[in-house]
Amino acid sequence: MATPGHLTIRNVSKTYSLPGRPLVNVLSRVNLDVEPGAFVTIVGPSGCGKSTLLRLIIGLDDDYKGEIELNDKRIVGTALSRGIVFQDHRLLPWLTLEQNIGLSLENSGWTRAEKDLAVREHIALVSLSGFEKAYPHELSGGMAQRAAIARGLASRPEILLLDEPLGALDALTRIHLQDEIQRIWEVEGVTMILVTHDVEEAIFLSNKVVVMAAKPGRIVETLDIDLPFPRDRAAPAFVALKRRILTAMGEDGGKPTARAA
Amino acid sequence: MSNTSDTIEAAAVEAATVDLPAHAEATGRRGLQLPNLTGFILPFIILVLWQAAATYKWIDPVFLPAPLTVMTAFWKMLTKQKLAFDFLASINIVGQAFIYGSAAALLLGIAAGLSRKVEEFFGPTFDTIRHIPGIAWLPLIVLWLGIGAPAKILVIAKSVFFPVFLNTLQGIRNVEKNYIELAKVLTLTRWQLIRKVILPAAMPSIMVSLRYAAGLAWALVVVAEGLSGLEGLGFLIFRAQGLLLTDQLLVCMVIIGLVGFAIDRSMFLAQKRVLKWKQGYDG
Ligand SMILES: Nc1ncnc2c1ncn2[C@@H]1O[C@H](COP(=O)(O)OP(=O)(O)OP(=O)(O)O)[C@@H](O)[C@H]1O
Ligand SMILES: [Mg+2]
Repeated sequence: MATPGHLTIRNVSKTYSLPGRPLVNVLSRVNLDVEPGAFVTIVGPSGCGKSTLLRLIIGLDDDYKGEIELNDKRIVGTALSRGIVFQDHRLLPWLTLEQNIGLSLENSGWTRAEKDLAVREHIALVSLSGFEKAYPHELSGGMAQRAAIARGLASRPEILLLDEPLGALDALTRIHLQDEIQRIWEVEGVTMILVTHDVEEAIFLSNKVVVMAAKPGRIVETLDIDLPFPRDRAAPAFVALKRRILTAMGEDGGKPTARAA
Repeated sequence: MSNTSDTIEAAAVEAATVDLPAHAEATGRRGLQLPNLTGFILPFIILVLWQAAATYKWIDPVFLPAPLTVMTAFWKMLTKQKLAFDFLASINIVGQAFIYGSAAALLLGIAAGLSRKVEEFFGPTFDTIRHIPGIAWLPLIVLWLGIGAPAKILVIAKSVFFPVFLNTLQGIRNVEKNYIELAKVLTLTRWQLIRKVILPAAMPSIMVSLRYAAGLAWALVVVAEGLSGLEGLGFLIFRAQGLLLTDQLLVCMVIIGLVGFAIDRSMFLAQKRVLKWKQGYDG
């Protein structure tokens, strides 16, 4: 089992400068503490900097102000201890399912046998056994997304980032995969950060929901979700939380408020 | 979920069995049979018209001998003359030119694709050489290397080189940025990135150019042999024209066409094999 990571984000700000245009404040003073083994979901309007924040955490972009630490160590570049699942599954079309997952273990330092075992276990974890030799175009959208989750987890990262992994799926497949993600999170015990537009998905899965607003991208509200798992989407407490989050998104979206300062 | 997984399962089972050679062969044969039958209709009609033109003397037999005369000429060239030798001479030139030209193109194309410096170094020179047709090089090269095979190999290799070089370069440059980003997330080394991501991503573009270049090489060998040298199908064609041996001329033309067809088909199959991961890929 992976050791769950403790992620600390302190005062992170990020600006994009495009030639001939004013600086864009994409993230402004973001603070977030993610407990080891927690499931934190980030919701917010399009363009508020959710993906940007994930890019900083995964290490694809180190041009920012503030600190991002995993287990009290400042993150530098990309590392196998941090995994990510992109919105487009991003499986390489010329590799079979098992080769795609195996690609994340190229530099794990494990033996051949350990790698094979990890690949097999993670294919089973996402219920894709039997499809080891299938190419991505032979998988449905939901299967491809599950394969991407398996790839993200195979190297046993301390933290897994999920950037709208279910955004492109139909409602039924989504709900099915939400159950799967929940199960995988419990089995693997890994810290997870999920970005989504779906408030129900956020409440269903997380310990903590973070609401962001745009211009500049910032956190406007953080809610702890204490409902017992598995959660009932129709329960009054669930619905009440949903209303609260939607209100936070609706009222604070777009304009800077006193709470953000 | 259940109905989607059913259809996908069928596809995956098929994919899993594709590796078995027997199955692969079976699908290959099945794939060829249908187009082959329909594809034979037009050649048959042409043959009938050709025979009719000869029988009813629509065209002077000196200019268009009957199919049977051409068959006899073919047999005579094969047994009494050295048609097989000329045929092999042409094949040899094309084969060598294609291998040297595409190998050099792949090597330099990959180098230039991976490094702007390399591209800038070769760019202006290559763009100038590229615009001088291979055939325009032949007279000079023949002065240097003589009328034998090497001059022709060099000139045709040049013509093979450029399409493959340019497509390799473009193929590498067009690799999706997302995939490069993924490689970074997976902490792939530069060499792993090239081998596992960049080259496979460029492969469709490379394969298209190889297929095109193979056809081009075959077309050019006929021209090159016609312009210089004393052997090969191209030489036979131009000699036949000079001696008004229309039957022999037609024999050569038919052979050239059939070989070109065979080259293209085999390149297509190679392409399909290499790119079997591409969805619904038909060439
Ligand atoms: N490479 C870049 N250069 C300049 N601006 C950028 C760049 N990438 C993102 N941005 C800007 O940063 C802002 C935040 O983008 P980001 O992709 O993080 O949003 P998001 O919250 O993930 O939105 P969505 O929900 O639509 O995915 C956007 O306004 C976008 O225009
Ligand atoms: Mg995004």
